[in-house]
Amino acid sequence: MWGVIKSVLAAFFGVQKEGQRRQDFEQGRPVPFLVAGVLMALVLVGLVALVAVLASR
Amino acid sequence: MRTLLVLLAGGGLLAGSLQTALANGWNMPVGVTELSGEIYSLHMIIFWICVAIGVVVFGVMFYSLFRFRRSKGAKAANFHENTLVEVIWTAIPLLILVGMAVPATATLKKMYDASDADLDVMIIGQQWRWRYDYLGEGVAMTSNLATPRTQIRGDEPIDASANYLLEVDEPLVLPVGQKVRFLFTSDDVIHSWWVPELAIKQDTVPGFINENWVRIDEPGIYRGQCAELCGVDHAFMPIVVRAVEEEEFEAWLASRREAAEEEAMGIDREWQMSELMERGEQVYGSVCVSCHQQEGTGNPPAFPALAGNEQLLSDADWHTSTVINGVSGAAMPAFRNTLNPVEIAAVVTYTRNAWGNDTGDSVQPSEVAERLSD
Ligand code: HEC
Ligand SMILES: [Cu+2]
Repeated sequence: MWGVIKSVLAAFFGVQKEGQRRQDFEQGRPVPFLVAGVLMALVLVGLVALVAVLASR
Repeated sequence: MRTLLVLLAGGGLLAGSLQTALANGWNMPVGVTELSGEIYSLHMIIFWICVAIGVVVFGVMFYSLFRFRRSKGAKAANFHENTLVEVIWTAIPLLILVGMAVPATATLKKMYDASDADLDVMIIGQQWRWRYDYLGEGVAMTSNLATPRTQIRGDEPIDASANYLLEVDEPLVLPVGQKVRFLFTSDDVIHSWWVPELAIKQDTVPGFINENWVRIDEPGIYRGQCAELCGVDHAFMPIVVRAVEEEEFEAWLASRREAAEEEAMGIDREWQMSELMERGEQVYGSVCVSCHQQEGTGNPPAFPALAGNEQLLSDADWHTSTVINGVSGAAMPAFRNTLNPVEIAAVVTYTRNAWGNDTGDSVQPSEVAERLSD
């Protein structure tokens, strides 16, 4: 679970260790990554919206 | 080491020549409002950040190309990844971008805050002139290019003392030190009201109202242009803003209001032919001439001639209603909101009696007012 989140975070940032990438592709299943990716994208949008609301006060 | 010095010197030279270019009118103006100064500083900060990034990135690149060239026996390093370096070169641009976004957002917020204005002015784009309406003050005006058509066409030499193509008959007069809110819209196509010294470039879109505001610090004349391609005379609708002290502004506004009231009273009286002709020539020269030409010859087939126009000569009623209502689906605008009854009566009378159109009949302002009210 934590490993999936870490890998998705690395993907958001755009930098991933080669070893970790290989491990995810060889041992992981795709669905958890997809779900975590969509959920975390929503969280990111929420964070940006929060900053925008705070900044426009 | 020597190469690095050469590169640094080159970078310094580049920055120096940019500085000179910027100081010699190649840059955006600092402007005459607090916000325009702020926008200018923002622009300069971001510009110098970009210059620094460019110098560092290209410096490292050219240095590496030169220092580690193959003829000197350099061997490529064949490692694959380096997570630390990758994290650093992702994080630095991120921080730079956020660092630029924070002050930019603060300025944008101020630009959008048009609340608590002391004065509201509606700015309406029209092919090819600007109209200004001081909302709630009973003063409105049309601002036309002052350069005569004859000079533009080359029939007459250009008057070098008169700001060719930059002057208008009626500048927008504004008070300094007061917050003026602008409401922008258009009668026909999209125009854009652009005055660099005020740091305003705002589109005027038919059917929409855009907002912006200024508080001008210094009295003066500030010039601008329509900045959205809007038809053949796009280049012939300049903007002139005259910023004056508050007392002078109030006096100007009062005299305009009085003149407008006087004009409104003039609607009911009987006008002499000569008065109508004189006024009509003025109106024709500023409003109609761009399409129907100086001598009423038009530019057929797109713009019909008014001189010797059979239908016009035989039908004063149709003539008047064409000017009031325009021709829908064609380029002939409706003048019911742009010209007042006196001006419409005068220009119709003029076009019925100029350039050999000797009908001898006149149209009275009161008749036009009556038509406008049904
Ligand atoms: C933007 C260009 C434009 C301007 C400005 C303009 N007109 Fe026109 N006008 C036209 C066009 C185009 C037509 C032809 C419309 C049509 O297709 O029937 C026309 C038609 C007319 C007609 C009818 C003539 C005919 O034979 O159809 C009259 C009268 C007229 N204009 C008077 C005026 C007057 C007076 C003014 C100034 C107050 C004026 N126009 C300003 C473009 C213009
Ligand atoms: Cu325009």
